[in-house]
Amino acid sequence: MSETPLLELRDLHVGFRNEKKKMIPAVAGASLTVYPGQTVAIVGESGSGKSTTAHAIIDLLPGTGKVTGGEILFEGKPIKSGDRKSILALRGSSIGLVPQDPMSNLNPLWRVGSQIKEALVANGVAKGKAADQRVVELLEEAGLPDAERRARQYPHEFSGGMRQRALIAMGLAARPKLLIADEPTSALDVTVQKQILDHLDKLTDQLGFAVLLITHDLGLAAERADHLVVMYHGQIVESGPAREILRDPAHPYTKRLVSKAPSLASQRLSSAKARAEVREQAMQTAGEIVSELQDADEHFGEVPNDVIVAENLTKIFKLRGAKPWQSVDFVAVDDVSFRLRRGTTTAVVGESGSGKSTLARMVLDLLPPTSGTVKFDGVDIRSLKGKEQLQLRRQMQPVFQNPYASLDPLYTIYESIAEPLRTHDIGDGKQREARIRELLEKVSLPTSVMKRFPAELSGGQRQRVAIARALALEPEVVICDEAVSALDVLVQAQILELLNDLQAELGLSYLFITHDLAVVRQIADDVLVMQNGKVVEAASVSKVFDDPQEAYTRKLLDAIPGAGIEMAV
Amino acid sequence: MWWYIGKRLLQTIPVILGATFIIWALVFLRPGDPILGLFGDKPASPAVKAAIEHQYHLDENFFVQWLYFLKGIFTFDLGDDFRGQAISTQLQNAFPVTVTLALMALVFEAIFGVVLGTIAGLRRNGWFDSTMLVATLIMLAIPIFVIGFVFQLFFGVKLGWAAVTVGGDWTVSKLILPAVVLGIVDLAYTLRLTRTSVAENLSADHVRTARAKGLSPGLVVRNHVLRNSLIPVTTHLGVNVGGLMAGAVITEGIFNVPGVGNLAFRSIQQGQSTTVVSVVTVMVLVYVLMSLLVDLLYAVLDPRIRYA
Repeated sequence: MSETPLLELRDLHVGFRNEKKKMIPAVAGASLTVYPGQTVAIVGESGSGKSTTAHAIIDLLPGTGKVTGGEILFEGKPIKSGDRKSILALRGSSIGLVPQDPMSNLNPLWRVGSQIKEALVANGVAKGKAADQRVVELLEEAGLPDAERRARQYPHEFSGGMRQRALIAMGLAARPKLLIADEPTSALDVTVQKQILDHLDKLTDQLGFAVLLITHDLGLAAERADHLVVMYHGQIVESGPAREILRDPAHPYTKRLVSKAPSLASQRLSSAKARAEVREQAMQTAGEIVSELQDADEHFGEVPNDVIVAENLTKIFKLRGAKPWQSVDFVAVDDVSFRLRRGTTTAVVGESGSGKSTLARMVLDLLPPTSGTVKFDGVDIRSLKGKEQLQLRRQMQPVFQNPYASLDPLYTIYESIAEPLRTHDIGDGKQREARIRELLEKVSLPTSVMKRFPAELSGGQRQRVAIARALALEPEVVICDEAVSALDVLVQAQILELLNDLQAELGLSYLFITHDLAVVRQIADDVLVMQNGKVVEAASVSKVFDDPQEAYTRKLLDAIPGAGIEMAV
Repeated sequence: MWWYIGKRLLQTIPVILGATFIIWALVFLRPGDPILGLFGDKPASPAVKAAIEHQYHLDENFFVQWLYFLKGIFTFDLGDDFRGQAISTQLQNAFPVTVTLALMALVFEAIFGVVLGTIAGLRRNGWFDSTMLVATLIMLAIPIFVIGFVFQLFFGVKLGWAAVTVGGDWTVSKLILPAVVLGIVDLAYTLRLTRTSVAENLSADHVRTARAKGLSPGLVVRNHVLRNSLIPVTTHLGVNVGGLMAGAVITEGIFNVPGVGNLAFRSIQQGQSTTVVSVVTVMVLVYVLMSLLVDLLYAVLDPRIRYA
């Protein structure tokens, strides 16, 4: 291409000053080029410097961030971070931004329409009545139905997908030549993500602007961008046409990324084969444990093959109605039945609001069902009281989504894992310490982390601690509520492998709640697809993936980014 | 909305019952006989004393006396104090000056607190911010009666800029110095609250988005930082109006303002139980209504909040 690039970064260095006034580099020598009309994706894990690079371009680095070296050229002219006037002229009118989190990026106090109008007025596109009219057109263009009414509403009256559409309308309001899309859909459900990205693709074709797409999802990047830039530890380790990188990754990091990205890995048959082996081994181990128990204790009786049986579970929440004395019934979970076979994994899949977490809380006996029963080893869990209930809690342990929130920040790792042992009065100090060492070893953490606090560990390490804590009481069932959703792809792959290994070793049964169908194939044997509180499809994992019966399941499968990309296996 | 207001107003009934009962009990437990005090140095005739005690229901038990007081509230007839002056007249004379004083203090602390706090928040950790930090620390650390006497001496006596005392014929200009003294502690709170709130909002995601839209720095601050930051400040100021009126006792004492604080102080000394409890009842009403007003204002400022 001989034309002048729209955006060019030459050896860009960005640093953040720490408390000791020392510059910590976040981006170290990034160079990339975006031509007019081109879509370029920057891919990398959190902390790789991809968002920092994007914010440096429009001089919106947070806090103490500073460009410490290199050049940023827009249409051949350098952007200098000190030159406020010319940067102000570029923002909005030449370079638009679609930010990451639709929940926090709209001012909650202003109507959506007036926030878009602001962009029009500030960039001198339109004023007054004409601007109001334009706002409605822009919202329609972004794919928001009933735009005229919506423009007068506040952000809290919008769903996440609608807000992201409003933010796209805002980013495109002044018809910029370059749109920086910073993880535009990572906070949204897969089906909504697909709709929004499809729409953005259409707009790119229509209006001809260039896109700098920032994402952690390699599959998504490969599907949407012509050109990929892979960032790792503040450096660009590889760049080139998307398909070429996927087919023939050169850098070891890219190789790992290509082989582990769940959206891509889920297509591989090898993962299904590996899973089948894990299951066989786990079921065998579980069987051994059960027969041992039966030998040891005559009263134990027949232990059923299904460790959890849920029948006709329904949960109705009462919501405040229009009048103070009225209430509206909200059916969160509607007549759900399933069985969890010993030593296997059942995945519950659905979008946010489908009732999957409510289901998990009822199974854990943390929330009483409105009707229906949960049987654990053939015993109705609601009939258990006192000591027996405590015993049940031992056998069923949860691992939650957010490893940052589920560990007490004031407890050391040792104390966090020791707490369930203390609660259930297991062992003395020495035995507990030995047990904790053993657990940390099982989840592949060095025993040196025992004295540390959660803040001193990475996200993946914390989730390992949470798993170790769940395993401390030797449970039969572990309920993972979005246990890997908050983690980077490579870490996610590690945790999934760990869960698989532990299952094979200990004969655990998992109830695995997730919104991400891509990880299901790597961990699950049976799948329950939920929509609006109801189970729409329940089948084995191979059946769901290869021969989905319901339109909704097919829609979910289609929405996995990168599904259409042919892979070098 | 109307249901919500009605519910809140209904909630004031137990609050008033409880507050008056407690205050009534405290005044009742106070040692000394107020009627005996009326006779001064002269010997008290038992017959006259009994007649007066009967007139004010002092011969009844404590609980019945409280019920008589409640009857007075609901029939809008608070009766006379032990000196024969109508309590309602005393309240009518005292409240306007205290309300004026409190509102002047409110305006003073709101304007200076918000303006200085915003500047400090926008330039966090700069020299202005550090100066304000030290200044507010001083304001919070020095007791109000010290500030009051120092200001009175300095601005009133030495410089002659303001009236030393207010006295019976009060005017707004005479109240300026007492209002400043009354508002100074809350000024420090308001300033700090505004500063923190502004600094926090500056790094909010939606502010970055506003900048990315191409808005000028001035517009960003005005439309996206200030309004969001002022919500907690409004709550603080609104709830404080009641506090300003109640807290006026010391300031009114120093500057001899003929307001509610003085009235309450005098009545407590003389054991005028009905007057004390009447003053408290009005104060409780002011408190409850102000917090209701603040809650309603909150819904106006923040569209996410709707009362049903």
